[in-house]
Amino acid sequence: MTKTLNRRTGLAAVALAVASFATPSWAATDIKLWTLLSGGDGARLATLVDGFNASQTDYKVETTTLPWGVPFYTKVRTASAVGAGPDLINLHLSRMGDFGPSGALRALAPAELAAAGIVGSDYAERQWQKGQYNGKTFAIPLDTHALVLYYNKTLVAKAGLADATGNLKPIEGIAALTDAFRTVKEKTGADAFAMESNTNSYMGYRLWLSMLAQRGGKMLDNGKLAYGDAGVDSMKVITDWFSKGYAAKNLDYPAANAQFLSGKAAFMLNGVWEVPTMVDLSASKKLPFDYGIVPLPKLYANQSVWGDSHAFAVPDNKGKPISAERLKGALKFVDYVGRHSITWAGGGHIPAFTAVAESDALKAMKPNNEFSGVVAKNIVFSPEGWYGGAAGPMEASAAKFFPAAMTGQLPVDKALSMFDAEAKKLLASPRPAK
Amino acid sequence: MRPTPKLPCIPLHAAAMLAPFTLAYGLFFLWPAVQTLLLSFTQSSTTATTGFVGLANYIELFGDADFWSSLLQTLYFCLLTVLPLTAMGLLAALLVERMHRGKALVQAAFFLPYVLPVGVMTLIAGWMLHPNFGVINYVFESQTAWLSDPVWAMPMVGIATLWWTVGFNMLFFMAGLRNIPADIYEAAGLDGASGFTLFRYMTWPQLMPVTIMVLLLQLIGSLKVFSQPFIMTGGGPFNSTRVVLHYMYETGFVNDNAGYASAIAVVFMVVVLLVSAVQNWLLRGRHAN
Repeated sequence: MTKTLNRRTGLAAVALAVASFATPSWAATDIKLWTLLSGGDGARLATLVDGFNASQTDYKVETTTLPWGVPFYTKVRTASAVGAGPDLINLHLSRMGDFGPSGALRALAPAELAAAGIVGSDYAERQWQKGQYNGKTFAIPLDTHALVLYYNKTLVAKAGLADATGNLKPIEGIAALTDAFRTVKEKTGADAFAMESNTNSYMGYRLWLSMLAQRGGKMLDNGKLAYGDAGVDSMKVITDWFSKGYAAKNLDYPAANAQFLSGKAAFMLNGVWEVPTMVDLSASKKLPFDYGIVPLPKLYANQSVWGDSHAFAVPDNKGKPISAERLKGALKFVDYVGRHSITWAGGGHIPAFTAVAESDALKAMKPNNEFSGVVAKNIVFSPEGWYGGAAGPMEASAAKFFPAAMTGQLPVDKALSMFDAEAKKLLASPRPAK
Repeated sequence: MRPTPKLPCIPLHAAAMLAPFTLAYGLFFLWPAVQTLLLSFTQSSTTATTGFVGLANYIELFGDADFWSSLLQTLYFCLLTVLPLTAMGLLAALLVERMHRGKALVQAAFFLPYVLPVGVMTLIAGWMLHPNFGVINYVFESQTAWLSDPVWAMPMVGIATLWWTVGFNMLFFMAGLRNIPADIYEAAGLDGASGFTLFRYMTWPQLMPVTIMVLLLQLIGSLKVFSQPFIMTGGGPFNSTRVVLHYMYETGFVNDNAGYASAIAVVFMVVVLLVSAVQNWLLRGRHAN
């Protein structure tokens, strides 16, 4: 008797539990999101996805994380061509020169956007414009991320580069930066800066592109290589830093980070996405020094700096166009993320949603407020084209030859001529058919 | 009167048993191969074909310095691996076969790396060779960035491959050694042969068929190299370890040029066929004498 009762009670409890779990998802439409964001960024995206799913009962976003770079973009391209893509993807805005004209993305009409609460004027103008192609909206920006200069307050003070409060004294001009590096090396014995410089690393290219832009130069002009003497000289400056021993050569990404985080280098050239690492290590007292972050200094005529933006886009699945209902859900999620992008800003990124970017909460957020304002105004994207953008063939080619020049494996002229040869091949090739 | 030649008649039950294989073979091997051949005559991306271009891809390929240099890199990898892997497989087999105690343990130690997936093997090799934290630089007190160095990158990929696959060749040679009848050693022993003479005139000729097979398999395997340099060096520094299949991958998936990538695949297949045919002919010819 007791047994039966127990079993019955148990069954009832299970049924009740199942019912209570099932109720909210009963009517929910699944929205499939493919992302290339992993690590800390992935965790923040997951927080936003959970927040959205909990905030309403009509839609449920399900995320699939794919490896960053070529694998992700190849999969998006091929999946949408056969109608097997998801409802929503992440995209670098620097890839719009490729994806905009490709037909792999679905144009989003103003009415469709508005129905989900998305209005262009709510977003940073430059980033919003970057998501447009042929007068139509294809991508909705999420953030801007850029190259910044991290520094170790202890070493910087020891080298006499700090002001009375311990912050880095402003550095202006390329000679001043080289001087600062030399002083660190001479006075502290530590490396002046840490930056990834192994084969196929991107940071050197990003620094070079920033320096070129600061001199008013362009990498490409009208589909032709146009970096000229300014590009050659910028490369020689970086090469010189390495050859004088201001930085360890051939470090891969984790090793470069480890070098700075363990206090063996005074500066680190890296993207804002390492902000959470600094914040977390500092909070748990695992960082053996106080750190600061400044925008890339004005080394030449202006303060341009390489940057890119994450965005959301809807793939145009051939033969399987997205239903109005799913589209609405996907766009509602994008809207939710924009409005809650203060969470995203924790990753060091500058939100593209203006109300958040200009909010008091963000202005109070450390260390973002040390660099966000200046950086946002000075972003330079990688050159556009079917070959352009994050992990595109042009950047991949630069990543092959630039580190070799910087670390002295090849003379600068030789490395650049090898890069030119590959780049010209890409520039001469027709846009791949879609 | 001569009987008219008849087409072989396959009984129904035999056809039924062959069908699953034939279907899978046709669908997953033959059809993609035909597709690749057809694609190589077109201007195509990974998702769409613009038009038929005849031999244009092939003509471009023959003048493409990047293709030839990638072929050279592939041959360099073969040089570093084919003979060493065959020789070391044989040595390992001879060693293991002669052991009495701990035989299984030594055999397992040689073979274990082979069961690792390539991703795990390259991860281990990458850690060992890491310029800052690697055990190799720690032991030799060196600063060399082995996998970023134009001189050392390919040899290191070769050495990692050697460690990874030598156990497989060892198994072939062990089987070969066990197939040599004991009585010929006995007879040779009665004639006074021993030590190296025994190996040179008895074991070596008897092993020849196995050696030829291992060499051929190894050559084809080494020509097909992709994963190890792709993961360990990314083809770098500055393309110095970019092998043919990596160039094909880059052309197809990074540069989105499937037509040209298919032409690379077809030409490479012909190269592999030619090399194996020549090797086969040379080795069998010598063996027959």
